[in-house]
Amino acid sequence: MKHLFTTALVASMALGASFAPVHAQTEEVNVVLFGMPYTNGLQDLADQFEEDTGIRANIEVIGQDVFENRITLTFTGGSDDIDVVHAPVIQVQRWIQAGWLQPMTEYVAAMPGADDILAGPLNAYVVDGENWAVPFMAGAGLMTYRQDVLDEAGLAVPETWEEMLEVAAAIHTDDRAAIGLRAVPGQGFNMFIFPMIMRAYGGNFFADYEGGDLTPAINSPENLEALNVYIELINEYAPQGAGNFNFAEVLAAAQNDQIAFAVEGTGVVSRIVDPDLSQYAGVTGIALPPGGPAGRSPAIAVHGLGIPTSAANPDAAARFIEWAVSVDTVTQIALNEAFPDFTTGPVADNPEVIAKYADVHPDFLAMRVQALDLAIGHYRPLIPDWPSLGQAVGENINAAVNGLMSPEDALEAAEQEMRDILGLY
Amino acid sequence: MIDNSSAFRVKKALGLFMMFSLLAFAAMPTLWVLILSIREQSAVFQPIWESPLAVTLENFLSIGRSDFPRALLNSFITAGTATVLAMIVGVPAGFALAKARLSGKFIASWILLLLRMAPPVGFVIPLFITYVNAGLIDTYTGLIFAYMTLTLPLITWSMWNSFSQIPDELIEAAIMDGASLTKAFALVAVPAARPGVVAAAILGFLVAWNDFFFALIITRSSTTTAPVAVMNFISYDSVDWASIAVASIALTLPILPLMAIANRYIVQSLSGAVKG
Repeated sequence: MKHLFTTALVASMALGASFAPVHAQTEEVNVVLFGMPYTNGLQDLADQFEEDTGIRANIEVIGQDVFENRITLTFTGGSDDIDVVHAPVIQVQRWIQAGWLQPMTEYVAAMPGADDILAGPLNAYVVDGENWAVPFMAGAGLMTYRQDVLDEAGLAVPETWEEMLEVAAAIHTDDRAAIGLRAVPGQGFNMFIFPMIMRAYGGNFFADYEGGDLTPAINSPENLEALNVYIELINEYAPQGAGNFNFAEVLAAAQNDQIAFAVEGTGVVSRIVDPDLSQYAGVTGIALPPGGPAGRSPAIAVHGLGIPTSAANPDAAARFIEWAVSVDTVTQIALNEAFPDFTTGPVADNPEVIAKYADVHPDFLAMRVQALDLAIGHYRPLIPDWPSLGQAVGENINAAVNGLMSPEDALEAAEQEMRDILGLY
Repeated sequence: MIDNSSAFRVKKALGLFMMFSLLAFAAMPTLWVLILSIREQSAVFQPIWESPLAVTLENFLSIGRSDFPRALLNSFITAGTATVLAMIVGVPAGFALAKARLSGKFIASWILLLLRMAPPVGFVIPLFITYVNAGLIDTYTGLIFAYMTLTLPLITWSMWNSFSQIPDELIEAAIMDGASLTKAFALVAVPAARPGVVAAAILGFLVAWNDFFFALIITRSSTTTAPVAVMNFISYDSVDWASIAVASIALTLPILPLMAIANRYIVQSLSGAVKG
């Protein structure tokens, strides 16, 4: 018995020794990103960074859920295994508050291509006067519509959500629903879409966000009106089961002739209008999302690259970020991948890039610029508690859509939960 | 006597209907995954009868070109090694617990059960920090040791039960014939408990093979296992359903022959193969 146990221990130790990692001697930078066209394209160009700088870039592109779990553990555990991290602007406030990111102000000031970065997305990462990340992508909310369906019904593209309800009532059939919208709860899911309606009706999350009054104001008459529109669109004019649609279901429905309208982010829109991915691309048009009494407010989502506080090699990380957002690198990615959401300005002047996206859809790049011009930076509030707030509000909105509570009760519950999260009793 | 009454026929028809309904219900997800795996990207959500010719092998080829085969290999290495190590330690441990006159058996049984029942999420932060400090993140060693916290209690408990069913007289006779305890264990007890040994090994392997949680927190690019790699097909603004289907098939296929071979051993083990 004793022999056997000793054998087991020795065997496991021997195996352990043989599987121990081998550490390379060259300078390395470890980059963790989640999957999207830009990050996939960046991974393919990693060798170029090593050729240019002599620093090896270990770029890991993983699923978003896996990413969330890994970086939370890395940050809380103080592990130094990540030098460059994918930093969605919506998460950055919380990371800064927790001390997980290090300021990049000096790096940005010394970056030769800093002036090439669009000012809006770059400033989205300025908190308390410091830069905390450098943007590589700014996606905006857009609407796709089936021109053939509108022509057949003799209708024009709706300019407001009220008009959208009228058009939806006219074109909705059992075979093809009028519209598909994200409804599944989450700060990046239904809370990417609903605020477009909410802000069009003059609604807000807080009493006066810009003035610094963060008293919850989700339970307002404007938001109730917007919620009723959202519920009517999903329950009356969307496909069966739309109460739990996410972007993947909206995309699939649009590509398969199951919906006539979709309001989505530019990444999804680019797939809906891509002739290689959808046989209905040729009859699909792009427009700005509908507006309302308070105007239009397209959604905006900014993603960037940051350096964790625990990074082992922050200087190499800064060099990597400088390379990753440079005109040359981003132009290559825009040409190699379906990536029209770049934030490196001069890329938009490249004739090959212009020609490529004009081939996908002639209005695509122009509409994206218009949507970004209209979008407000704090479309979703840029505060550390937003992930929790967005989740809480999103769950109540989804409950109202699925008939689990009335719209009035849902907004009341959302406001109460916002107060609880913010500690306002 | 053959019962030809109409009541019997109705009962039989009802039974068959229920059986096939349950079979269809159980087989439907598998069938769906198989269809998804061969559908063209643009036809993934179309009913197969609407575009029956929109099939392709590109999804399989694309998975072959990705990092997924490496992740499958990682799963084999870690789950296989963790099972072998747990067998090396757990089978003798189960024998000792079943046959030795130990005073703390009751406590040992509860500790083993607690190890099986404790939710891993409860100790994720200390485990992660320990692993970071020990340099075990993204190493096979780290993942294998983590898997052994799953497989070792399972195998020990299972083998304890199997060896308990072997009569003491069998071991005693071997020892009286001059065999050492090690020989009696290796040449008499283990062969007698063979169904239990095979069942324990397979169940241990399956537990490690299917693990998502430990792999999620311990692995990085070098040691990512297949269950985690499947999640990488879900990106920011798209879900690659066809690749997920192919990956799911790739994850399931290696287990099928194993299960087929081991099926009778598992049944024998669960029903108690050795009677005193």
